[in-house]
Amino acid sequence: MAPSPVRRLDPVLVDRIAAGEVIERPAAAVKELVENAIDAGAGAIEVVIEAGGRRLIRVTDDGRGMTPQDLELAVERHATSKLPDGDLFAIGTLGFRGEALPSIGAVARLSIVTRTADAAQAAAILVDGGAKGPVRPAAGARGTRVEIADLFGATPARLKFLKSDRAEALAVADIVRRLALAHPAIRFTLAGDTISTIDLPAEGSDEAAALRRAARIVGADFVDDALPIDVMREGVRVHGFAGLPTAHRGSASHVHWMVNGRPVRDKLLSGAVRGAYADVLPADRHPILVMSVDCDPREVDVNVHPAKSEVRFRDPGLVRGLVVSALRAAIAAAGHRATAQGGRDALQTLAGRQPQSFVQRTFVGWQAPVDTGGTAASGDAHGSPLPGFAEAQTPFRSQDEQISSAFLPAADARAHADDAPALDAPLGAARAQIHANYIVAQTRDGLVIVDQHAAHERIVYERLKAERAARGIARQILLIPEVVDLDPADADRLLAAAGLLEAAGLVVEGFGPGAVAVREVPAALAGGDIKGLLRDALDALLDERDAPVEARLDRVLSSIACHGSIRSGRRLKPEEMNALLRQMEITPSAGQCNHGRPTYVELKLSDIEKLFGRR
Amino acid sequence: MAVSASPDQSNVGRSMKVTVERAALLKSLGHVHRVVERRNTIPILSNVLLRAEAGELRLKATDLDLEVTETQAADVERTGATTVPAHVLYDIVRKLADGAQVSLETIGETGQMQIRSGRSRFNLQTLPQEDFPDIAAGELPHSFSLPAQDLKKLIDKTQFAISTEETRYYLNGIYFHTIDSDGRQVLRAVATDGHRLARVETAAPQGAGGMPGVIVPRKAVAEIQKLLDGADADVTVELSPAKIRLTVGSVVLTSKLIDGTFPDYQRVIPAGNDKTLVVERDMFAQAVDRVSTISSERGRAVKLALADGKLTLSVTNPDSGSATEEIEVDYEASPLDVGFNARYLLDITGQLDGDTALFKLADPGSPTLIQDREGAPALYVLMPMRV
Ligand SMILES: Nc1ncnc2c1ncn2[C@@H]1O[C@H](COP(=O)(O)OP(=O)(O)OP(=O)(O)O)[C@@H](O)[C@H]1O
Ligand SMILES: [Mg+2]
Repeated sequence: MAPSPVRRLDPVLVDRIAAGEVIERPAAAVKELVENAIDAGAGAIEVVIEAGGRRLIRVTDDGRGMTPQDLELAVERHATSKLPDGDLFAIGTLGFRGEALPSIGAVARLSIVTRTADAAQAAAILVDGGAKGPVRPAAGARGTRVEIADLFGATPARLKFLKSDRAEALAVADIVRRLALAHPAIRFTLAGDTISTIDLPAEGSDEAAALRRAARIVGADFVDDALPIDVMREGVRVHGFAGLPTAHRGSASHVHWMVNGRPVRDKLLSGAVRGAYADVLPADRHPILVMSVDCDPREVDVNVHPAKSEVRFRDPGLVRGLVVSALRAAIAAAGHRATAQGGRDALQTLAGRQPQSFVQRTFVGWQAPVDTGGTAASGDAHGSPLPGFAEAQTPFRSQDEQISSAFLPAADARAHADDAPALDAPLGAARAQIHANYIVAQTRDGLVIVDQHAAHERIVYERLKAERAARGIARQILLIPEVVDLDPADADRLLAAAGLLEAAGLVVEGFGPGAVAVREVPAALAGGDIKGLLRDALDALLDERDAPVEARLDRVLSSIACHGSIRSGRRLKPEEMNALLRQMEITPSAGQCNHGRPTYVELKLSDIEKLFGRR
Repeated sequence: MAVSASPDQSNVGRSMKVTVERAALLKSLGHVHRVVERRNTIPILSNVLLRAEAGELRLKATDLDLEVTETQAADVERTGATTVPAHVLYDIVRKLADGAQVSLETIGETGQMQIRSGRSRFNLQTLPQEDFPDIAAGELPHSFSLPAQDLKKLIDKTQFAISTEETRYYLNGIYFHTIDSDGRQVLRAVATDGHRLARVETAAPQGAGGMPGVIVPRKAVAEIQKLLDGADADVTVELSPAKIRLTVGSVVLTSKLIDGTFPDYQRVIPAGNDKTLVVERDMFAQAVDRVSTISSERGRAVKLALADGKLTLSVTNPDSGSATEEIEVDYEASPLDVGFNARYLLDITGQLDGDTALFKLADPGSPTLIQDREGAPALYVLMPMRV
């Protein structure tokens, strides 16, 4: 084939190529328009989309509007009102490139109606596929209404990359929510044909307002779980709300950062969060967090990414250090507060102080299997002060007996003559549970320690997979369907994935805005906490939103298996412990949990003897 | 409500001396000590309150949700009250000689209580009786009595269906209420875990009419069940919307109620199920049990294939194989395949009394009714599985 001659590109084509960098999907267009409205000082911003934004995006604001002359310029490339001194290092607005409107005009039908406060009438303009029409007088309220119709109508290749209307609409909702988080003083509404309406009232501009807005977006529970943070160093202020470590979630999608009013997904900041929570969160879990960094615009470069979603701090070490230390301090203070309140207060008011005896100190934390009827026992599982019995003078009994009478229930897992068969099994006979999470079992030639949660999780996961491979996951239909309230966008997300969830054994249907009714659950997990199950499934869907169906399904199965499994901290009866050991023995790859950690460790008698120098 | 309303904490001193029969003391301790949790963050909750007054010894234990007191005749030398570790006292009394007399006496200012019997002597550390919590205070405006065994039946036949899942806490107990059923007042007990439901009724006792619907928590249910075991007299029930008190002979149990709304269970009891199946109860249960040997894990389904006088039960387990069994039944409706959790089927058939069991079915996705016979006092609803 003969090489084509080098040509200058047609300017319209140049615009379309450039536009592709800024506007790659409807959500990106919505982001640009809403940012413009925020920059224009709007008090209320209304977004309407149709067909996921493909057919129509309309953003209406009550901001300062544009004069006819400004309007004419605004749709020109590199025309902006926002860099008055041309100082790219002092960007105080969300927009600064003067690129958004022309880019949109190049790939869609763009129409703008705008009016300033002192203008007698509004001005309108239409840009269609890069061709700019004249500015005409029009009727319109103060503020600006921007409509984008037929997005990518002129670039079918780009159209092909779009997902379903529903998926695109969810991405729009995501952007709107993230911007709304950063601007609690502005009222936001979003309506669309495939999603639930979002309506966020103006909250105000103090920290309490920010928390109210955050609660509407990340969930009402956040109000109780949020630790307020506000620190400042060398002109950099870090403030907002960090979730308690105990309220962790399965996905990082609830970690929200804003830098100077701009939502960002920034590696430095998310790394700092991970670092700060590392010691208090299980691996693979993430906190809920809504925080802002405010600083002199000169301290941060926002011009590093076409969608402005990454930033570069002039002094990254300072920001990282500030974030980590502020989070750590808040978490530590909360932890202290929690322990101070749990038992100790009550203990002192009710009974005064109890001196600890030798026996108490030695055996705090050791927990024999207790016949609690198989349910999670109430109260703190670790190290709670024990009753004052140890002080009693009971001359006819050894200390050993005292301990056993206080700790060991009728159903005790100590050695019995009749457990010879269990001793021969690979994982042996259960002897005790320690720290409410580890089963200690005895084998013929050693000792096995099992992590009950990790082991059970693996068993459930393998069972779900086997069922799916055979005839589909068996489902228990609920006599009383459980209605779960969720954030509207989350509810939409779940419903959008209803087919996939059904393959995972969860049958859900819509139940009014922001709620879903669960009708059927995987039989293997029946009887568990359904809301938690749904939350984890949702997080799994979020994490894998771009993965192929099989991978998403696997991820959902693994996360619900994790949820439905015996928790750490749950006390087990001897029969339950032995049943778990026997199930592990017949489950493929039971030696590792779904996260690749071992589920049990074995110590041979010879190893133990070596430890004591007997060999 | 008066602040010092508790009869147990009125003005008696800390010093007491009392002598009781070992057997009677053991029986009382047996009743009350079960309430005491093995592990307590609040030390005094590990103790039992002993109170000697007017020829009686009263024992009381609580976990703050549930309180049990028992009163027994005693030879009181010095009226007073104290508290000692419940499980230790129980273990001591258990090991004393049968038929012995036991004396309990607080000693001086040491804060200890001495237990003497024969040649044995024990000194136990005490905690002050004033600190012992009291949940029994407050008015209980509704009151009625019924035969112990009637109440026991209501509990025994519904208890298995109580949910253990804690987020739907309002299902963690038995819902008792009165209702007009076919023109007569009945007292009903209902429990459900969201998969199955048990509803058992008995003629409403005198005075039960205006009672509020109450949800009695699982732990209280289990204690009540034990108290009623073998009791043949009447039980007095007193209620407020927040508490229930039961008096069985010399034992008084007071429990907080679950503060929640029980779901409108009537809506899930199907009325139009027209496919009736009658099975020999034992034969059916044994067949279910046999075929489900193939997979003993929880949540395994047994499939019932019904066609003209014949029921085929089958279980398939991808790991271990399959099993089928065929039994003769009364069934004349159109053929139907439906799956149930084997465990649930066994639980329910285990509650039935008759030789036969009546199933009323609609389709594989709708609730099924199970009873001894039409109009029986106990009714069970079971939701199928999809397999
Ligand atoms: N909703 C609005 N209200 C008032 N003025 C607006 C609005 N939208 C756009 N403008 C004006 O149009 C100009 C061009 O907007 P455009 O979004 O293209 O560029 P920008 O916001 O300056 O920079 P960026 O490309 O980074 O978004 C803005 O500088 C602003 O003056
Ligand atoms: Mg802009």
